[in-house]
Amino acid sequence: MKTHSTTFFVNNKEYTLDIPVHRTLLQVLRDDLSMTDVKYGCGAGECGACTVLVDGDRPILSCLTLAVLMNGRKITTVAGLEKEGELHPVQEAFVEEGAIQCGYCTPGMVLKSVSILEKNPSPTEKDIRRGLEGNICRCTGYEKIVKAVQRASIALAASSPVKQKEGGKV
Amino acid sequence: MSELSIVGKRIPKIDAREKVTGRAVYAADIRMPGMLYGKVVRCWNYAHATVTKLDLSEAAKVPGVIKVLGPQDVTSNTYNSGVLDLMVSDEMRKMLGDIEDQPIFTDHVKHQADGICGIIAETEEAAERAAEKIIVEYEPLPVYLTAEESMKPDAVQFTPLKPGNKAFELPEPAFPGNAYGWGDVDEAMKKADVVVEDAFYVPKQKQCQMEPHAYVALYDDRGRLNCWTSTQMPKLVQTKLARLFELPMSRVKVNQTTVGGGFGARLGMVAEPQACAMAMAVPGKPVMIQYLREEDWVASESRHPGMYWMKMGFKKDGMPVAVDAHFTSYKGGYYTQGSGVAFTTGAWLAGMYKYGALRYRGDSYYTNQVPCGAYRGYGNPQTNFPLEQLIDRACNELGIDPVDWRIKWHKDVGDDGWCIGFKYPSCALTECLERGAQAIGWKEKRAKYSTQTGSKRRGIGVACMNHTSGAMPMLLEHTVVSVRLNEDASAEVILSCSDLGCGAHTALTQIAAETLGFPLEDVHLLTGNSDASGFDIGAHASRTTYVGGGAVKQACEDVKRQLFERASKHLGTPADQLEMKDKRIFIKNDPQQSVDIKTITTLGVINLPDPATGQPVGEPGQILGYASYFPPHNSPPFSACFVELEVDTETGEVKLLECLTAYDIGRAIHPPSVEGQLDGGVHHGLGNVLTEETYYDKKGLCLNSNFTDYKLLGPSDMPKLTNILVEQPDPYGPYGAKSCGEEGIVPPIGAAANAVYNAIGVQIKEAPITPEKILKAIKK
Repeated sequence: MKTHSTTFFVNNKEYTLDIPVHRTLLQVLRDDLSMTDVKYGCGAGECGACTVLVDGDRPILSCLTLAVLMNGRKITTVAGLEKEGELHPVQEAFVEEGAIQCGYCTPGMVLKSVSILEKNPSPTEKDIRRGLEGNICRCTGYEKIVKAVQRASIALAASSPVKQKEGGKV
Repeated sequence: MSELSIVGKRIPKIDAREKVTGRAVYAADIRMPGMLYGKVVRCWNYAHATVTKLDLSEAAKVPGVIKVLGPQDVTSNTYNSGVLDLMVSDEMRKMLGDIEDQPIFTDHVKHQADGICGIIAETEEAAERAAEKIIVEYEPLPVYLTAEESMKPDAVQFTPLKPGNKAFELPEPAFPGNAYGWGDVDEAMKKADVVVEDAFYVPKQKQCQMEPHAYVALYDDRGRLNCWTSTQMPKLVQTKLARLFELPMSRVKVNQTTVGGGFGARLGMVAEPQACAMAMAVPGKPVMIQYLREEDWVASESRHPGMYWMKMGFKKDGMPVAVDAHFTSYKGGYYTQGSGVAFTTGAWLAGMYKYGALRYRGDSYYTNQVPCGAYRGYGNPQTNFPLEQLIDRACNELGIDPVDWRIKWHKDVGDDGWCIGFKYPSCALTECLERGAQAIGWKEKRAKYSTQTGSKRRGIGVACMNHTSGAMPMLLEHTVVSVRLNEDASAEVILSCSDLGCGAHTALTQIAAETLGFPLEDVHLLTGNSDASGFDIGAHASRTTYVGGGAVKQACEDVKRQLFERASKHLGTPADQLEMKDKRIFIKNDPQQSVDIKTITTLGVINLPDPATGQPVGEPGQILGYASYFPPHNSPPFSACFVELEVDTETGEVKLLECLTAYDIGRAIHPPSVEGQLDGGVHHGLGNVLTEETYYDKKGLCLNSNFTDYKLLGPSDMPKLTNILVEQPDPYGPYGAKSCGEEGIVPPIGAAANAVYNAIGVQIKEAPITPEKILKAIKK
């Protein structure tokens, strides 16, 4: 079995692993590193449950990504959003809006929402819905998830006025 | 009712933080030392075949493989993955004809992905490699995809227990003429001024819960079988596993993991039998089975599809004089919940409107598709599609407004519910219809849309729904709750009720805290452990808040009674002259005289004799409240749903604009969860009527076992959702609550179909109503 020495960061912690070249990032995170906050939903890039962020704000489907391609990259999973016991504003908004039911899509959904707001701090409802396409939720009808992203957008703007000014018209 | 301080409040859900941080543990997240991986080897290329050769020897040699198990290597006992057979009496079970026709591994493949053997290996990859080395030969058998095909006299028999492949029909002894209803339908129909009649197809919809099925099982060193599962029904699965493996229940432990969505898919067992059979082959070693998504799709139960014929007769004033109906469902390869949906489909029909006479016949035939089981609504979506469309067709002929018709003819308080003879104790459907119509602008829009031109046609439709809060009196309803007070006056509420993500545990915690008069943080719900908790049915029939909540309330009232008894002794005042506030019990007309709850609970636990007298101080004994609760009713909820949409008559595409549900909730214990249930239900319902169907090719192989080819509505497809919660407390539900778990799915189906009818003037008789069907219908 061909392997490749790979160094990457997950939630700011460095890992160097000898990874079989066929293994997906999802397999490595879940099975080798026991990071079970990353979810398997379909294994085919159709549901978004396995979403992680690469280099800050780029969402990727870890089930379709070969782990060796992550050499040198910074990966964020939902476990990396909480800072010193404080939830990320997007997480906070999901809790407050009641946007979580079974919770299985939630890690991917939260990370996708973070990326939407990173790119566009003041998205319209249409922007949010379009941005969430690719992440399936079977519990909520998306209604409270969309409201949570809107709530997070307001909360983030309040905590970071500069960013809002720059990103408001994107 | 006095003012409520916790019930009805929009508190954050108790499981929200662990889920939003990714820390909630689902079955596939379990990691144990020495854990092995189990794989069920399935027949992927045939939907109906006999296994003529099975050679496991090469697979067993693959490095990393521990054991390979064929049909002969596991118990020869068969099972029924459903649980209805545990909720009826022996006599009823015999009369219904419930059977156990599922083997752990089969040599008669009855649907694609039927399991033929199992592999236990050190890694998932080793198990996969070994699966490729299984040598198997099949003798293909004719494939039957509809009841019409499998009921033919020369068809291959699925089981000798069900001649003619008829899995079920309403049994004669309880249903004369194999029918459910009342009155003389044939005579009544003759008196009708307008008769509408049609045959409809209702789809094979998949639950699509986001967490694929996964299990861990361990046969431990004390000879106990442990299973970690996301089943909706941990206690009944405990019973089922005990019977299957011939163990006393005391030697079977079911640990319920976080449930990543249920919707009926986990109502009973899925692969618990296979996981446990593997674990018993390797004592002391935990074995995990994780389904792939496509495996989940074709090897776990779906909704019952089938042909639904219905005929309705009306007088000129709209009076529905007679309904004649017959639903024939396509059962799939195994019996499972065979007796359930065939009955309830007619029950929901019976419970809805004031027909002069009703005759509903329900039957079910084996087919070579994934077996059909429970799915949110349990027959109600099937009934809503034909019933609500035929009503609108009749209203059109009679010149009656569909909302007005429903207000006039829906069943109401005192009428027979879905179970004849069991009367409705509450009903706010008239208010739901009136407020819903007002809020969406029904009259204005109906008038406006009657004069449209051009290729984009808007339509607005309405439909109603009745459902239930628990399955009594047809099925057993029972929940056991114990409430233990710790010495510091905090409470441990011990029960087995499931939370599939719908917020049930939050609502139950609110009910407990409200009833005890304790702050929320002083109440903990202990769930998910079959060793600790008493009996419970599990999550089905929208029962948890209503039945589980009733049980919690009763057990907490028992605690409160004991506290008052002890306070009465402490204060030397009769209990009925005492009151409780802020965890103190005081004398009503002398509030200065009081005792702290903590004093009572501490003395209950840490009770030492007074050194001077040798007598106990206060009353010894830890307080334990208990309820073994059989609810007195099933308080059905109702709702009215309005859907507005736009049909592109050139492409046949439907654009959803708004879906408004006015819901008779009784009382919303946790409003965000009620709204969430309705929103999510609407997503399933609109999918059922517009996009969702599992398709098979002629060989019985599934064509769309994935999220690309099976169309779920995405965030941008969903319309504006509006919920109106109509709160008229029910006399039986805890704090007046009725259920809301399944109901949201039901009326969007009829309402969207009627909106399409309103838009294009043609009814589509086959769900889902796809663009192709719309174009075809317009051309006709």
